[in-house]
Amino acid sequence: MASSRPCFTVLRGICQRRGTQWQQPLGQQLQALRITSNSLANSTSRRCFATDQPTRESLSIEAAGEVNLAALKQFGSKSRARPVPASPSYFSRIPVFNDSYLALEKLIRTYGNLPTIPTSQVERVAWKTLRDYRQTIGEQVKAGDYGRCIGLVKRLHQIHPKLKPGPVKEALEAFKRDIQPFTNVATPIVVDKFGRAVGVGRRKSSTARAWVVEGNGEIQINGKSLADFFGRVHDRESAVWALHATGRLDKYNVWALADGGGTTGQAEALTLAIAKGLMAHEPALKPALRRAGCVTRDPRRVERKKHGRVKARKMPAWVKR
Amino acid sequence: MSVPTTLRCLVRPSVPRHVPRQVAVVWAAPFSTTASLAANPPKKKASAQMASIRSGKKMQLGKFKKKAPGGRTGKSPLPGERKAVRKRIQLSNSNALPVPGLAELTSEYMADKVNAGTVVSLPGTVQDELRVIEAFKPTQYWGMFRNPSMLVRSETVDLIGRMQDSAEKKQTLKLVVSGDRLTGKSMLLLQGMAHGLLNEWIVINIPEAQELTTASTEYAPIPGTDPVQYMQNNYALKLVQAVRKANEKTLTRLTTAYSHPELPQNIPINSTLMQLANSAKEADSAWYVFHALWQELMAKGQGRPPILLTLDGLQHIMKVSDYRSAAYNPIHSHDLALVRLFTDCLAGNHQFPGGGAVLAATSRGNAPRVPSMELALSQRAAEQAGAEIPKHDPFFRDYDTRVEASLKKVQVLKVSGVSKLEARAVMEYWAASGVLRKTVDEATVTEKWTLGGHGVLGEMERASLLTMRP
Repeated sequence: MASSRPCFTVLRGICQRRGTQWQQPLGQQLQALRITSNSLANSTSRRCFATDQPTRESLSIEAAGEVNLAALKQFGSKSRARPVPASPSYFSRIPVFNDSYLALEKLIRTYGNLPTIPTSQVERVAWKTLRDYRQTIGEQVKAGDYGRCIGLVKRLHQIHPKLKPGPVKEALEAFKRDIQPFTNVATPIVVDKFGRAVGVGRRKSSTARAWVVEGNGEIQINGKSLADFFGRVHDRESAVWALHATGRLDKYNVWALADGGGTTGQAEALTLAIAKGLMAHEPALKPALRRAGCVTRDPRRVERKKHGRVKARKMPAWVKR
Repeated sequence: MSVPTTLRCLVRPSVPRHVPRQVAVVWAAPFSTTASLAANPPKKKASAQMASIRSGKKMQLGKFKKKAPGGRTGKSPLPGERKAVRKRIQLSNSNALPVPGLAELTSEYMADKVNAGTVVSLPGTVQDELRVIEAFKPTQYWGMFRNPSMLVRSETVDLIGRMQDSAEKKQTLKLVVSGDRLTGKSMLLLQGMAHGLLNEWIVINIPEAQELTTASTEYAPIPGTDPVQYMQNNYALKLVQAVRKANEKTLTRLTTAYSHPELPQNIPINSTLMQLANSAKEADSAWYVFHALWQELMAKGQGRPPILLTLDGLQHIMKVSDYRSAAYNPIHSHDLALVRLFTDCLAGNHQFPGGGAVLAATSRGNAPRVPSMELALSQRAAEQAGAEIPKHDPFFRDYDTRVEASLKKVQVLKVSGVSKLEARAVMEYWAASGVLRKTVDEATVTEKWTLGGHGVLGEMERASLLTMRP
């Protein structure tokens, strides 16, 4: 069997070219086979193509049925007709992508006129990446092709949710990632009945919890004052940076617990924890805190050591023989 | 037919063909017999190159490279010079701005509650006297300002009030100043001393208790004592001279009540105490002079002024010292005569005839842990606060009864951070001196107050004065 790629490309070319002219349903068009050659008449038994991917039984496709030559007579006396398969992906090894692409195009043709909503208001969905999609269908889909396909997907997704038809929803499901990060909603931090808001922050391998209450600038970490807990003035400033940057240092008290890691990690974990607690009191401070660098967690950790190296990156000393 | 082709072989090609040039490699073994190599024998240059590569690489055994000779010139500092620079105390800085409207310290200033939370400057005479008795420490930031000035805080007013009370009642105040690191314990002692000097008290200061007990000064047994006590003549000489210089005016006014036959110089009765103090010229008799001076100051019915005895670093005299007896047994600090004198006063065994105070400050920077002292101080603090009194740990056996006995009657003054009002006063002083280049408002004060661990003054100084950022 020939490699699937050239055949597939050729077929897709055909369907694309015809795509614009088709007015009738796809199946009707493709089942119109025109054939007279003897060589093909011998081999028109029912064939079944199993795909190269052994595990995918669902992908096995059936060839078109036997050609009824008598029925074809009515189309005239063409002596050298060429058989055209029912699916444009007939000759491709794995036709899933092509078929689904065609199905999407059909959906666009059918439902493309439904009202849409602006992209900014569309529900955020994590679509499968090219790598994910290739793994799912086991087909070496080209990046550009997949890009166009996802373009169609996004266009269909833009249809107003209340009017979105069932077939569209089903078709889009295949392109959604298994895990949708956008459905994860952070639990909002609330100010409890004692006026406390607890924020949790992490940095390197340190964790800090900070209870932020309205007050006059007193800060206690693990039962010690800021100066007792951090010897370096820089660390002290880091710890209260969220309050300092927003000018709230004299308006809140903080009672915090920090553990794990070193002093710098604990100080910067506290920055994040206090910032989160502060945002619970004053959500409007979020942009200011983001500008101050107190909102995003720094994901960097110690880089692992690798074999053949002295540390993560350091190579052993060069020795002359 | 073949002639043209064969002839063509002889013709030089019109277009030269690009043939990779055969490079005569001379790195190969010299015994090769090929013609090319025979024609181009290995050149000297190549071997020289090899040699230079090898000579460039040397095995380096040490971690640090030796510096090229002639890099640093100049004299290395003489013995003791580095320490002198380290211990140097600079009391003024002409680059700092003078602060207008700063009150000058007077004899009654620090006793007045109204003056709590203000900054005062030290008058010149007091500065000199305090410098003589080593009240200033090299770790304090005097050198950043035009004139030595200090914050009068609520603890100061409290301490000075107690001192005045005891002087009025001819009693002896026995007080230990304790608190966290950098909270201003030594500063409180300095304020006590400044108050004493301005009010014509006799001020005797032991600036570093560790100098007495870490075996860094000479010692000798005092003959005729049982159990044996030890005198430290060199230290006593330094102390007597400091006392003489700092209290010159008062000592000149006072006269001796006893004759002192053990002194090398004859000091008749009714000569001034200044004369007695002046007789300490060399270390041999210094302890006896100090002892005689102390006896004179303790003389009853002679109109003696109040006495202020201070010591910094209390932990060092509350443990077994680093000295050894003749039998090579460790000497307890309380067997050193000078330390004994101080601890006796602290225990209340000496009644000062004119009243006065014995002040000691604990240290948190360089101090050994003394569980007995810590327990005794916490017990005294609990007694004063009316709280539950901590007990001995039954599983700990290294408690020291002598230490506990010496701290039975002391008052404890806990020093912690300053209030925001006081912090504001001191920050305004910094700003006026041009050291703090910020507007002093509520936000700035709170910021530094928080960064300084709820107003710990030393930490506030670190956070606001010792940073290079604007």
